[in-house]
Amino acid sequence: MLFNIISISLGAILINNFIFSQFLGCCPFLGCSNKVDTAFGMGVAVIFVMGMASAICWLIDTYILVPLGLAFLETLAFILIIAALVQLVEMFLKKSVPSLYSALGIYLPLITTNCAVLGVVLLNVQNHYNFIESVVYGITGGIGFLLAIVLFASVRERVQFAEYPECFEGFPICLVSAALVALAFMGFSGMQIF
Amino acid sequence: MNIKNQFKEGLITNNPVLVQQIGMCATMAITTSLFNGLGMGLSVLIILTCCNVVVSMIRKIIPEEIRLAIFVVVIAGFVTIVDLLLQAFIPALSEALGVFIPLIVVNCIIIGRAEAFCQKNTVAASFFDGIFQGLGYTLVLLAMSIVRELLGKGTFGGGLIDVSNGFHLTMDGSGAGITIFSGEYGAKVLTMPFGGFLTLGVLIALMQYALKKSAKKKELAARAAEEEKEVEE
Amino acid sequence: MNKIFKLTVVLFLICAIVAAVLGEVNAVTIGPITTRQKEKTESAYKAVLPEGDSFTEIEPSAYAAYKSTIDKISAADNGAGHVVETTFSGAQGSITMAVGVDSDGKCAGISIIKHSETSGLGEVAASASERGVNFRSSFIGKDESITIQDIDAITGATITSKAVTGAVSTAIQAVKALG
Repeated sequence: MLFNIISISLGAILINNFIFSQFLGCCPFLGCSNKVDTAFGMGVAVIFVMGMASAICWLIDTYILVPLGLAFLETLAFILIIAALVQLVEMFLKKSVPSLYSALGIYLPLITTNCAVLGVVLLNVQNHYNFIESVVYGITGGIGFLLAIVLFASVRERVQFAEYPECFEGFPICLVSAALVALAFMGFSGMQIF
Repeated sequence: MNIKNQFKEGLITNNPVLVQQIGMCATMAITTSLFNGLGMGLSVLIILTCCNVVVSMIRKIIPEEIRLAIFVVVIAGFVTIVDLLLQAFIPALSEALGVFIPLIVVNCIIIGRAEAFCQKNTVAASFFDGIFQGLGYTLVLLAMSIVRELLGKGTFGGGLIDVSNGFHLTMDGSGAGITIFSGEYGAKVLTMPFGGFLTLGVLIALMQYALKKSAKKKELAARAAEEEKEVEE
Repeated sequence: MNKIFKLTVVLFLICAIVAAVLGEVNAVTIGPITTRQKEKTESAYKAVLPEGDSFTEIEPSAYAAYKSTIDKISAADNGAGHVVETTFSGAQGSITMAVGVDSDGKCAGISIIKHSETSGLGEVAASASERGVNFRSSFIGKDESITIQDIDAITGATITSKAVTGAVSTAIQAVKALG
């Protein structure tokens, strides 16, 4: 069990990083990585939502959808759960933890359409993870996202001062730098857990 | 809105990936062979067209406050239909694209078009918008797949074209494609995540270059015409 | 309050319509999907145990000691042997593999069903290339004492090769323990 959890965590954070090897969550990754601060806020919000979504979707899938033979409604149910969850978290934070809300608030609505969140719950089902494994995969997947987005934001802050062909202005140069960071992450792919 | 304009917008001047810069996850993830690229492109095209039509049909009866939730439900419905049909009838494609088929739900292209276009336009216009935007998306996927497959593996049409006994198309993804050069000499790194980011980056850069050039040309032409006018006067 | 009620009803109605449509589509597609999955497992099983004909799953309690790595054991109805489905960790996450074990307790063939190994290295173990076919066929006829020296290991993918060897050994032990 412990071995499983360690292997899932290391896999989700480094080896099969959500962004650099599975391409899940690229839109917010490229959109919110202008500054390290913003990137950090977004990353923390994603960890939070991915962990919660993994837990709730697993429960609903295992105890409601599968027993009723409604597994084909998974995609529909999951996206609604995520949207509702994000909405609830936002309201809850606003009322009870205003300091956290002011830090994370603006990122929360963006997360609904983050494919890393829907991706993680679908992968939990596909990989037949149990409850604990699902939650661990969700949280560590989020940590992987945080790591990737913070690393990349610091690269981007430096790229601003670099010289590159004019037509690479904006998105293209970001993608090229992301490619180089992805190349670095490929180094982990030879890594063996134990 | 005329059709010709919409066609040009969807494919070039307002291309969803290259110009609007949305829907990139799948663009980078699955474009490792022509079979995957074409399959994904057509799936998005079908879903986008269906969603556009339905959204523009119901645009007048849905309450403003919950329109996004309704869009998402409609999109998720069509995505699941396509997902189930693929699993049943083109299993090889459904296996190759894996989790990226259900993830079309959160592809910003579809919800973006619903919000920006179909809400304000007629059913017919939305239908053509779906087809042209979908075609624009498919085109980018094809370009990415062809480049990555050719340079990475030295083949063309992997999964789709089988040349082992005469040229024919396969639907089960088993075709090895036409070998242009031996796979040993391919830049394998292009088929990996690194290649996805890099190819898309270069593609967008080329697009920006081309758009800028044509804009400059138009400007020059306009200036020349103005000067001519002045001379005439 | 009235407004919220109205919105909820509209949203609920739309969800219900979508769900009903999906139910219809599912009714059409469920048949082909299940037959395809069944055919796929049958043909995968036949590939690793060529003498087997049809297969019946064995009760999980019979191999409880191996539950952590072994997903399923099916016996060939004509007594040709067993097929073990096992999931274990390779170099980069889990590998799912079918191992055919003949009636003498020797490996009759292996087939990798699902993996996430490095493209170009560990991936070879599952590929249709000459290297991959040689690697997999080198397991045929071996018993549970198999080590990495006995097989045609893949250069550059020692971890994957070792993991597969270990899993084949465990699979044969599990079948022998069935009695």
